[in-house]
Amino acid sequence: MRPLLALLLLALAVSHSARAAEIRFVTWRETQGFMEHLIRDFEAENPDLKIVRDIGPHSSTEFHDLVAQKFKNHDREMDVFFMDVIWPAEFASAGWALPLDRFFPAAEQKEFLPAAIRANRYSGAIYGVPLFVDAGLLYYRSDLLRRYGLKPPRTWPELVEQAKTIIAGEKTPGLVGFSGQFKQYEGLVCNMMEYILSNNGALWDEARLAGSLSSGAAEEAVRFVRDRIVGEISQRGVLAYQEPESLALFTEGRAVFHRNWPYAWEEANDAQKSKVAGKVGMTPLPAFLGGKSAGALGGWQLGISRFSRRPELAWRFIAFMTREETQKRIALWTGRGVAREKIYRDAEVLAKYPQFRTQFEISTAAVPRPPTPVYVPLSNIMQRYFSAAVSARDSDIDRLARHADRDMDRVLDLLRGRAAR
Amino acid sequence: MKRSERAALWFVLPSVFLVGLFSIYPILESARLSFYRMILMLPWLGDKYVGLENYRDLATDPVALDSLAVTLVFVGASAALEVLVGLGMALLLNESFRCRGLARAAVLVPWAIPTVVSSQMWRYIFNDRYGLFNFLLFGRATERYLAPLADARLAPAAIIFADVWKTSSFAALIILAGLQTIPDELYEAADVDGATAWQKFRRVTLPLVKPALLLALLFRTIDSFKVFDLVFVMTQGGPADATNVLQFYGYKKIFAEGMIGYGSAIAVGVFCFSLVLSFLYIRLIGASVLEKGAAR
Repeated sequence: MRPLLALLLLALAVSHSARAAEIRFVTWRETQGFMEHLIRDFEAENPDLKIVRDIGPHSSTEFHDLVAQKFKNHDREMDVFFMDVIWPAEFASAGWALPLDRFFPAAEQKEFLPAAIRANRYSGAIYGVPLFVDAGLLYYRSDLLRRYGLKPPRTWPELVEQAKTIIAGEKTPGLVGFSGQFKQYEGLVCNMMEYILSNNGALWDEARLAGSLSSGAAEEAVRFVRDRIVGEISQRGVLAYQEPESLALFTEGRAVFHRNWPYAWEEANDAQKSKVAGKVGMTPLPAFLGGKSAGALGGWQLGISRFSRRPELAWRFIAFMTREETQKRIALWTGRGVAREKIYRDAEVLAKYPQFRTQFEISTAAVPRPPTPVYVPLSNIMQRYFSAAVSARDSDIDRLARHADRDMDRVLDLLRGRAAR
Repeated sequence: MKRSERAALWFVLPSVFLVGLFSIYPILESARLSFYRMILMLPWLGDKYVGLENYRDLATDPVALDSLAVTLVFVGASAALEVLVGLGMALLLNESFRCRGLARAAVLVPWAIPTVVSSQMWRYIFNDRYGLFNFLLFGRATERYLAPLADARLAPAAIIFADVWKTSSFAALIILAGLQTIPDELYEAADVDGATAWQKFRRVTLPLVKPALLLALLFRTIDSFKVFDLVFVMTQGGPADATNVLQFYGYKKIFAEGMIGYGSAIAVGVFCFSLVLSFLYIRLIGASVLEKGAAR
């Protein structure tokens, strides 16, 4: 009797799992463990669905190439995928990402941070639902600034002067003024854009579809980074830094100022990992005189593949991941900036993460990199230019900038066909 | 047609079919695509025939020219080192000693590991925090640890090193085969003449093993021109394009930037380079084999 029962149960289980439709989710490895929990809860709530995770590389650039390759092959084994904030225009234009307007109406979009929604729109439709929102911001050593009677800097030259005052006063060997990300990679574009935009320059002229890096404002900002940020108050090592290395310098107590994304707050204030826990402040990035602070917008969105066989079911997963209750859980769990505005006013979240108040201001003011289907080639040109311009002390910035503009003009020219049609 | 010829034709046919499908067709297709402007992200532009425009762009693209230089340094250094190390290994394995069979098999292990796997291993070894490379150099002095794959001067060397480790044994195999064709009488005669070990190597071994050396060099040169997986896994072309070899640059153009036409032009360029190199080598080897035949 008992074996028979077991067999019956097994048969039931098999038929059940056969009925559960699989949703393939291309994601990166997530180390805080919340993804696993959320997927388990989603499956408990939706017994007819099963999420299969397809784990891609951690680096955003490599993740992009993987997803792009799946699209190129019209891969039906990808339903939901993560998108970096700079990809929606490209994936939309290529016809790879599904427009989500029927699932994600304008009224619902209003619940999210407007900058994040803007980054997900392309020629009148929406292609992704923001999950995480990042914005470039400035961390500073509140203990050091207090000791010298300084307020967080509002302008870049002020930042350099404060750093020099503190370094001269402290006489700590190895203490530097600033740590940011100046390696040749996408993060370099974010960092440099924050200087250029806050000097009223632009990465390129979106209306005229022409490069604008050789404009006076842009060149002045780049020169400032080369001569004063990298040249005066940082160590040469920043030229090889991405986020983790630059943050390590700050958490070791060896940098006065640090540019990073909101995630760094928790790490910098974790006494286990950081020597400066409790001595860290957060503020919008400085600007140049007459300019406005311009933190780069970053973050991750969920999209549905055009080649998915079951977009309706895929949407149920995205809806679950981005609904208010889940977003609040993610915020409480990770301390990372989420996309729904309401979470930043939630009493429970604010009690645990008081920095969400400042973070909200900064995220609201964040500036996306201009959405365009040809972002990747443009970014590659900019990365080469910025890296060459700031790493050599005597670089010919004007000549390099004009070359970059010329190369960008050629790529931007490709978009004109669209405008004429 | 003779019966035996007809039978031979049937035997050859499957290979001809497979080579045609998996080599000739993709090469011709790449060549065709390289004459078009075709951009995945801008489907409304359509596929436009642009003649030689992609090749003209390629000739004046400073990144491509840099990439060519990076590739040539990689090819030159790795092929030369591999043949040298391979020669050393072959000379050792040609001596008789206990467990020679085992040693011969062991030497082939790196070659038998898929490149993607061994590249991943080297990436770990060269890691700046937990890499064995740093541990061997600096022990517990973690503050002195280097990040070879993030350093524009060390990264190319690291990749060359990984390639030499992996494929020297392949060169050794070819050279060993060459060594074994050298008749023992020649060495006996040299002994009678009172030649030193160096003289025997210089006057007997080296001239006779030359065709095998050239063959090993040919295979290694062409193969290292196609380097992709090492770079893909270890550095992604970085830091600052220091390891941006041509094949990887072409891959980035096609898969990251969606520039199918331009990327294909790069692939065809690499193909032509290898083709020219092969012809040069084959003429060289042909000549040296003829020379040997005439001397007999």
